[in-house]
Amino acid sequence: MMKQCKKKQTLFGRFKTIQSTMMVSFTVLMVIAVVTFMVIAVHYTNNSIYENSVNYTTQIVQQVNYDIDSYMEFLENISYIVSRSGDVSNYLFNEKQSEQEKERERDRIIAQFQTIMDSRSDIYNIAAVAENGRSILNDGQARFTEYIDIYEESWYKQAMEKKGGMSISSSHVQNAIEDSYKWVITLSKALVNYNTGENEGVFFVDLNYRSISELCSNNKIGNKGYIFILDEEGKIVYHPKQQLLYGGLIHENISEIMLSKEDYFVSGENLYTLSKSYKTGWTVVGVVNTEELFKNNKKAESMYLIVSIVLLTGVLLISSVISKEITKPIRQLRDSMSMVEEGEFEKANVSITTQNEIGSLANSFNVMTEKIHTLMEQNMYEQRQKRKNEMKALQAQINPHFLYNTLDSIIWMSEAGRNDEVVLMTSALARLLRQSISNDREQVTIAEEVDYVKSYLTIQKMRYKDKLEYSIHVSPEISKVKIIKFALQPLVENAIYHGLKYKETRGNLIIRGYKEGEKAYIIIEDDGAGIPAEIKAHIFEERKKEKGRKGVGAPNVQKRLQLYYGPEYGLTYQDREGGGTVVVVTVPLTSRPDDER
Amino acid sequence: MMNDKIKKRVMTLSLGILACMLAIYAAKGVQDPEEVRKQVIFIPKTLDKTNGFWTSLIEGAKLGAEEFNMDLEVVGGLSEEEVEEQIAYIKESIEKKPDVLLVAPCSYSETSDILKEAVDQGIHLVLIDSVIEEDISTAIVATDNYAAGKELGNYANSLLEDGKEVGIIAHVKGTSTAIEREAGIRKGLEDKSNKVKETVFCGSSYEKAYEQAKKMIEQNPKLGMIIGTNEYASVGAARAVKELKMSNKIKVVGFDNSIEEIKLLEEGVFQGIVIQKPFNMGYLGIKQANHIVEGKAIKKNTDSGCKLITEENLYEEENQKLLYPFIGQE
Repeated sequence: MMKQCKKKQTLFGRFKTIQSTMMVSFTVLMVIAVVTFMVIAVHYTNNSIYENSVNYTTQIVQQVNYDIDSYMEFLENISYIVSRSGDVSNYLFNEKQSEQEKERERDRIIAQFQTIMDSRSDIYNIAAVAENGRSILNDGQARFTEYIDIYEESWYKQAMEKKGGMSISSSHVQNAIEDSYKWVITLSKALVNYNTGENEGVFFVDLNYRSISELCSNNKIGNKGYIFILDEEGKIVYHPKQQLLYGGLIHENISEIMLSKEDYFVSGENLYTLSKSYKTGWTVVGVVNTEELFKNNKKAESMYLIVSIVLLTGVLLISSVISKEITKPIRQLRDSMSMVEEGEFEKANVSITTQNEIGSLANSFNVMTEKIHTLMEQNMYEQRQKRKNEMKALQAQINPHFLYNTLDSIIWMSEAGRNDEVVLMTSALARLLRQSISNDREQVTIAEEVDYVKSYLTIQKMRYKDKLEYSIHVSPEISKVKIIKFALQPLVENAIYHGLKYKETRGNLIIRGYKEGEKAYIIIEDDGAGIPAEIKAHIFEERKKEKGRKGVGAPNVQKRLQLYYGPEYGLTYQDREGGGTVVVVTVPLTSRPDDER
Repeated sequence: MMNDKIKKRVMTLSLGILACMLAIYAAKGVQDPEEVRKQVIFIPKTLDKTNGFWTSLIEGAKLGAEEFNMDLEVVGGLSEEEVEEQIAYIKESIEKKPDVLLVAPCSYSETSDILKEAVDQGIHLVLIDSVIEEDISTAIVATDNYAAGKELGNYANSLLEDGKEVGIIAHVKGTSTAIEREAGIRKGLEDKSNKVKETVFCGSSYEKAYEQAKKMIEQNPKLGMIIGTNEYASVGAARAVKELKMSNKIKVVGFDNSIEEIKLLEEGVFQGIVIQKPFNMGYLGIKQANHIVEGKAIKKNTDSGCKLITEENLYEEENQKLLYPFIGQE
């Protein structure tokens, strides 16, 4: 059984109490739940932050791109109007016009240019140049600088190479015009000489670069985010940190952006969102610092942590109360059980009012305890009855031999005419008999018991004369102490019949009584033959079958003493120095009242 | 006794519920505490909007402040010459108790006292572009003038024809920039440094530099090159060469950046100019300030770099931003 129990000691079996089992289980479950929740929440928050910011920057970047496109489209339309009107081509390529005609043509064109420039402050220059050296620029006053070869400028070459449509340059300083170094974006378009059908000149419009850069710089993405623009070749059109880039102070992963097929990607600490325009060929790039993105999330994380810790403490406190409440009846039951274990049936009744399993358990327990209690009471009653009967038997057993011998002695003494002695012996016998039947109480005082022994010894002394010498010294302190009836006389009888009787010379018997601690001791000492070791070893075992033994004496007395007073009381046999036996009778100073039922 | 027990239990229970409620409250109530942004005040030599160098520098500083999450305030007068005005601005700024003071001192000696006061009050001092006579700053961000001079000297060495001599027109005698640049130039000239026949000081005046260059050309027929150590000296020399139509004989190289210089470069009067990187200087100044307040290790001297511009690389993409800051472009 025990082994099986040990094997079955499971996970929860390790805890000392159900309460701690519940507490630990609650805690573990709660921690698992909270951690799971946190991981999921953080992950979800991360994802949604990421997605949101991708969506958000995509929107911004597309909006910027859209704005640029529509802006460019608008300007293209203006350019088309001018370049298609024929005036410009006529002025540049028509060799047949007279000087005067040319002059007029030129004025008309310049007036047109002026109208456009007056209405659009974002247009810096409008001009047309032809390979034949003829050109027309802005208000007609401004001139091309002599140090720059316009035909080698990239915007010029681009326009010439492109078949139809506008070319849009990257941002650059327009250095072709004298005394003017302005940051512009150049829209250029090849002009066809209708005489040859070839591209022989370029019409161009310079836009204030700021109109583009402001589109970007006005759109902020977070604190550290920004927007920049790359042209088709990966050159920077606009970048807020352009100078730092060139200075090598910061680094922008342009090649990765140019190669990227996705609309967004993460590189290093940054999230790049791209939007490419087919009109301008530019790529608008939104950059968001991911660290900044997730900075708030870090806060959320630490907040989750705090919340879950507080929550955990709260739940733990509550669960400690709940588990205490749940296990309270169990603990009551356990306490009651240990009371029953100790035999305290009266207090063991559990008052549990709950209707659950424990309630019915408690009920069963109560019924069971009561039953056991009744059974035990019954058992004790029966035991007592048995003891009484035994005592009665003992009472009855004193007599025949002793009585016969005594009466024989009386007859013998009266024949010899020793009347005094006859009277003495007869009265002793009478007293003895009276004492033995005087009451049916189980206990008497030590004084009474000693009186009884005295009567007995008086008779024996008269029979054995000089062969027996006795003395009794019982301390008056213990004379009122209770002792079970017939505890001493059988021992004295034993001392005479098994000890002194076999002695050739005079035998001595000493009875002493005294108090020590909470116990009273009565010592019966004889200097007779002593008890052989093998008999002494089994002295308290009943030997009913042994011939000549009456089945009473030491075993009977011992049994009754221990039954009555408990195992720490009773008889102990010792060898006496110089031969003989010492019996020590130990009884408590106070014993339970003799209840006669 | 029983009462006590129940009381205790009720207490624990309510404590638990309280904790839960606290958790809910915390979840709702936790607001991100406003980040404490460090205060930086930048006092440049001038706030003149037409001055490309300083507008660019301020722009760089502003970008840096944005990037490093610092509060930047730029104060100052309109003229580089007004030392008293700058001292007043510094005084005013000290009272605002910023974490870092970025100063481009107008004077080598006169601003020392007031800046010392700032440092004494526990304000970190970062010097931009120029230094002061006392070594009290936490960091200095400026162009390494010696290195810049050396680069120009190297270039001059490659240009100088055999047998020709060199004249240097420096700006103000005794200033650190003039001394360092000249030393750099001489170092850069290497074996031809003995060709330097004279060094004159124009006192940062176009006219004086122009006169001195004219005189040099007239007096020394072997003169093959004039080197100017700042914008005034360089432009003055170039004007003289242009006017005397000697640009095929006498080469001019110099420092700094202006529209006139660029034009003269395009025209071929200048063979090369070394320009500073003001935008980077401003940015690096703030970066240093940020490192200081964050307790990071810093190098005391930071070179913001320079660039040699010649006719060939004048219109390269990356040089355009250096040469043509948006000044007053509407």
